[in-house]
Amino acid sequence: MTRADFTNTFVMMRLVLRRDRTRFAVWVLAIAVLVLTSASSVKGLYDTPESLAAYARLVKDNAALIVQAGPGFGLDDPTVGAVLMNELSIWAIIVVALLSMFTVTRHTRAEEESERADVVRSTPLGRDANAAATMLAVLLVDVVVAAVVAGGLVGLGLSVAGSVAFGASLVGAGVVFASITLVSAQIFPTARAASGSAFLVLGISFVIRAIGDVAGNGLSWLSPIGWAQAVRPFADERWWVLLLPIAASFVLVALSAGLADRRDLGAGLLPQRVGPASAGALLSTPFGLAVRLHRASVLGWATGVTLLSFFYGVVAEQAQRMLDDNPDLADFFAQLGTGSITDAFLATAVTMTALLVGGYAVAAVLRLRTEESGGRADPLLATPTSRARWALSHLAVAMVAQVALLAAGGLALGLGAAVAMGDAGRVLQLTGATLAMAPAAALLAAIAFLFAAAWPRAALASWVGVGAAAVIALLGGVLDLPDAVKALSPFHHVPAMPVQPFEVAPLLVLAAMGALAVAAGLGGLRRRDMART
Amino acid sequence: MGATVAAVISVQRLEKSFGTTRALDGLDLEVERGEVHGFLGPNGAGKSVTIRILLGLLRHDAGTARLLDGDPWQDAVELHRRLAYVPGDVNLWPNLSGGEVIDLLARLRGHTDLRRRAELLDRFALDPRKKCRTYSKGNRQKVALVAALTSDAELLVLDEPTAGLDPLMEAEFQQCILEAKAEGRTVLLSSHILAEVEQLCDRVTIIRQGRTVQRGTLAELRHLTRTSVEAVVEGPVPQLAHMEGVHHLQFDDPGAGGVHVTFDVDAGNLGEAIHLLADTGIRTLVSQPPTLEELFLRHYDDESSPPVEPAGER
Repeated sequence: MTRADFTNTFVMMRLVLRRDRTRFAVWVLAIAVLVLTSASSVKGLYDTPESLAAYARLVKDNAALIVQAGPGFGLDDPTVGAVLMNELSIWAIIVVALLSMFTVTRHTRAEEESERADVVRSTPLGRDANAAATMLAVLLVDVVVAAVVAGGLVGLGLSVAGSVAFGASLVGAGVVFASITLVSAQIFPTARAASGSAFLVLGISFVIRAIGDVAGNGLSWLSPIGWAQAVRPFADERWWVLLLPIAASFVLVALSAGLADRRDLGAGLLPQRVGPASAGALLSTPFGLAVRLHRASVLGWATGVTLLSFFYGVVAEQAQRMLDDNPDLADFFAQLGTGSITDAFLATAVTMTALLVGGYAVAAVLRLRTEESGGRADPLLATPTSRARWALSHLAVAMVAQVALLAAGGLALGLGAAVAMGDAGRVLQLTGATLAMAPAAALLAAIAFLFAAAWPRAALASWVGVGAAAVIALLGGVLDLPDAVKALSPFHHVPAMPVQPFEVAPLLVLAAMGALAVAAGLGGLRRRDMART
Repeated sequence: MGATVAAVISVQRLEKSFGTTRALDGLDLEVERGEVHGFLGPNGAGKSVTIRILLGLLRHDAGTARLLDGDPWQDAVELHRRLAYVPGDVNLWPNLSGGEVIDLLARLRGHTDLRRRAELLDRFALDPRKKCRTYSKGNRQKVALVAALTSDAELLVLDEPTAGLDPLMEAEFQQCILEAKAEGRTVLLSSHILAEVEQLCDRVTIIRQGRTVQRGTLAELRHLTRTSVEAVVEGPVPQLAHMEGVHHLQFDDPGAGGVHVTFDVDAGNLGEAIHLLADTGIRTLVSQPPTLEELFLRHYDDESSPPVEPAGER
């Protein structure tokens, strides 16, 4: 690496910021709103030392909650900041990581895939300038997020040190996951595969730290999410831990630069294999083509969802063990009268699986948009293939795949729970509970279809539905959301089995709404111009 | 004007706007059965927009468009059984091989001809096993061409199909189009390559800024263009300066007593101009026949010529 390799880095950085200014503004705003409303809600809910102590008694050393939240630093002498971190920090870390990862693929591998990179690289641009520019832009955006969040927390009266430490931990996590994505963008020839493998690393990081936090054996030090939490904001901050993400980022970026030197622009590290000279029987219909196009990503998601769900199933048994040691908790759940803590944890696990699958379904349906803007819809629609048939082929694959993913996730959750608790009845119970989420995930996909079919330029708004559903499901408690708001999430309407009994009516309503959205989408698709970029 | 019975494509006063941009502004296009029709125009003139309207991918605002006696928007699926399309910018599925794409498109059209497929792959020297991701622009174009030419479609709609092909492949392409014509198929060929158009097309339509500015056979169009003349004559020819149909007149003195004269002259005035030169005494004479390039330049250049047809209201 020489200076020349970085020529015009700042020009490229301005390009990244220019292209993504709206996107970045939306992310920063969303994260700020999420964190600050949570903080103000926690402040309101736990306004006395007694209520803080009661929270700590309930949560501390509760394995099931540790999986979802983290080690719970500072709960021995609980403050509002510590409670906020326990409720929110892991989700904030994941969201900042996602923002950073999306940005990296979008400006590196996706650019090469679109062949825009060829044009840009033909100018006097250093070999490493684009990667450096992308990383600098990510760093800048993460710092802006951190500054807004920390400033807001200080404004709400939380400690300056804790607020700054939390902001810094977010930047650290964001940059590490950006660096991981930068490496995967060198290895894989498509943006989809680069993002997918980076998401897998994020998922593994989540699970590793969950195991480490529950077992207390130091395994969490292997996870970048664990590092971010180990900074211990609002709990006797450990600033030196921030050196870990910094060091890791340097190593990963250097690795990525080394890999980039060993490959051609536009190519991956793995050699391109040749394909078949003629098409198999599958490639005879639009549906067959859609199956072929979605196959790899469905397999990737199936792997991720199955492993995560199995992990949740195995951990569920820990929750039961807690009750014996923690009379407060036993009382709490007795008062709730909604079943055991194990069931409550498993119901949360079912929702997590459903959220992931809902995210998959939306991503899969939005493929319609990239097919169209990438100019690949035209050649198909110039054959005797109607627009409806083209669009429905992708929807059908997404729907079948999401049901299959829910079945696989539910089965894995049930098997995990059955093995850990020695209760074979869990398999069927949890598979059923997870499959019942299908109409809710389908509704998210149907809304995405409505956009992609009728108004593709606004299609990314479909993610608002997924984001809202995730916030409502994961943070509904801490945000103290009114029922009217919670009702906006389709998952809220599915009976939370195994805590609640099964009901068929809400599922039918969700399915009917989904069908309406699909019909409206088809109506719009029939009338509009096919776009092309 | 008006549709002839044999018209395969019949477009009248077609209009299409994207927001405030007027892409088509009263365009006319008539393609007869069995002909190879050249569709010419500068970048952004509206060639691809017209073709995408004919394919039912875009909806037109005003005017009429008929394709194979059907409505390109309403009857898209049925009409597409009878045509094959090669886009100007071929985008294919990166993880499918070229052979897979060719087969997929053939099966969707409902006609697979393995012998013809093998022959075309051979003629275009295309390796069907490579993933579309790894094909160059020219090779992606070959995939689309092989897919279109394998079909038994009666109409081929080709949007600048040879932009990325090398001269050898270009020749092969021309051969394929001549064969298609011999089989009685109709071809709409949008192109920038004039040699290709001169070689293949029976008739051409030239458009500019969304309007048809010229159409007819190449012979007819040539008739409308100017011949450039370069001569050395014995003495000055002042009458030329006042003569109708003479343009870009230049005199200079090459020495040795003669006068060097260059000018362009309209087809109708060529005889009279040569007559004037002959009267003065011609030492040397070079005359260039009108090329399609000049035809192009004349119509592509905003100033040089008003549209042949009265402009539609704006």
